[in-house]
Amino acid sequence: MKTRVLLLITLFLAVIAVSLFSGPSFINPFALDETKKVILISIRAPRVVVALLMGMALGASGAVLQGILRNPLADPYILGISSGASLTAALGIISGLSFLGTFTVPVLAFAGAIITGGIVGMMGWKRGGLWPERLLLAGVGLSFLFSALLMLMLSVSTNEGLRRATLWIFGDLSMSDWARIPYGLVFVIAGLAVCLTRAKALNALILGDELTHSLGFEPQRERLLLFVSVGLMTAASVSLGGMIGFIGLLVPHIARFFLGSDSRALVPASAILGGALLCIADLIGRSLLPPMELPSGIVTAIIGSPYFLYLLRRKNVLSV
Amino acid sequence: MSSASDPMILKLEDVLFSYSRKEPFIEGLSFSVGQGEFIGLLGANGSGKSTILKIGSGILKPAAGELMLWGKPLHSYDNKDRAKLISYLPQTLDVSVPFTVKELVSMGLYPYDIRPVITADDALEMVGLSAKADSHITDLSGGEKRRTFIAMTLLQGAGLLLLDEPLANLDIRYQIELVRLLRNLRESRNISVIMALHDINIAMQFEKVMLIKNGNVLGVGRPEEVLTDDSILKAFDVSVRIMKHPGGRAYISYEENF
Repeated sequence: MKTRVLLLITLFLAVIAVSLFSGPSFINPFALDETKKVILISIRAPRVVVALLMGMALGASGAVLQGILRNPLADPYILGISSGASLTAALGIISGLSFLGTFTVPVLAFAGAIITGGIVGMMGWKRGGLWPERLLLAGVGLSFLFSALLMLMLSVSTNEGLRRATLWIFGDLSMSDWARIPYGLVFVIAGLAVCLTRAKALNALILGDELTHSLGFEPQRERLLLFVSVGLMTAASVSLGGMIGFIGLLVPHIARFFLGSDSRALVPASAILGGALLCIADLIGRSLLPPMELPSGIVTAIIGSPYFLYLLRRKNVLSV
Repeated sequence: MSSASDPMILKLEDVLFSYSRKEPFIEGLSFSVGQGEFIGLLGANGSGKSTILKIGSGILKPAAGELMLWGKPLHSYDNKDRAKLISYLPQTLDVSVPFTVKELVSMGLYPYDIRPVITADDALEMVGLSAKADSHITDLSGGEKRRTFIAMTLLQGAGLLLLDEPLANLDIRYQIELVRLLRNLRESRNISVIMALHDINIAMQFEKVMLIKNGNVLGVGRPEEVLTDDSILKAFDVSVRIMKHPGGRAYISYEENF
């Protein structure tokens, strides 16, 4: 166990270093000139930080949601948060809105995510609490509606915004700069902190509400707290760089193969693996065919899915 | 087993509870549990056994009436403090996540900040699952899963256990061993147990049973007084005969073959 934790942390740090110094061109950290310094500090570093924040938020959110919804197929997007965010972001991009400058799209996406999360929460609310099945179905129903509206918008629009909107939907980290990081950072760190301090309650929630109560927790309060944290983390992630599939759904399962199911290990491990994976995916996306960039969300799924399938076969874990 | 002077751990007085706003499901429910007392809760499906256990453990809140734990209103306790005094085990134990047996049992310590009197390993040994400590809960049989949860409950160390059908899907051997284990715990730690049951023959071996129908108590007391041909007909709507072994122990017999 200890070796595995150390291995995970080493991997995480190595990924950060590699993402910073390699890319379309290699930067030698021991021979920096002015241009390279600028590239490193104003272009690569914020991008790596954004990838880490998004990946960590999604990985941890997935692990938490699979627990509170008691469903191994849940992911942060199943609650409809991403489709709400995509809809408002695409609306902003295609109609060329710029009332907040470069912050317009992130703010629109965040608003879309929060509003959708709020609606899903309201629909999942009954008898003074949130109910997993209601949340799931409300999220799925709303996702379909918003995705249909998004497709409708994309299919009737003809301008240049269409390509940008499409890129954004598949995860676009190319707009990363330092200015938007503090906002994302606040939500992701706060969300992670809540999830980590409530990890015992999360374990209990997996056993059902009655046992959660018997073990000394208030199930509805814990679920609401975790739902809000995950909602804010996911909203922050989507607004930083669009939709990234795979991480929220499958990274928690990969983390589980290595460190087991105890949420106290699983949530941080999913965050670290999610951050590392998105960093690598983004590195590949911007290095493979420069100057063209491949959307990170697509790269994540292309490298992540085969690995997940390999693990599934090799470890023969049928119980998840 | 207990006398009137024993301190009452749990006391329900004139409790009213309803699931819907229209009509009460349970009305005027009163009973108490003394220290070291074992109560078998019997009744047909849907008669309110689980509801009564959930009210007693604080999961469901009564609309009216008094619910006292150690002389203090149950719902005035802090969640963690209450969890040190009462533990509840539901009938369906459904875990989709592959926790290991030991991880799951260790959750019994969540209400505590200090080191326990018994460890997860001790609790596993008590239920005969030491060899499975590192197995995944999702790979266990129904009976092993139940014993794992019982080990968790034991580690939680509460003095009052409310168990909903703990003998369901256990082999006869583990049914007997579980009842024996709980009795031993009564000897050593003076625990009290309320247990929903289906098997009337097992209920015959309890010192106290409570027979319910539609949320009403038909009778409380010694099984040979409470469980009669008539009361069973009333509670379960089936004709049976209570027989006696030459040694004195009562058992149930069906009048016809089925």
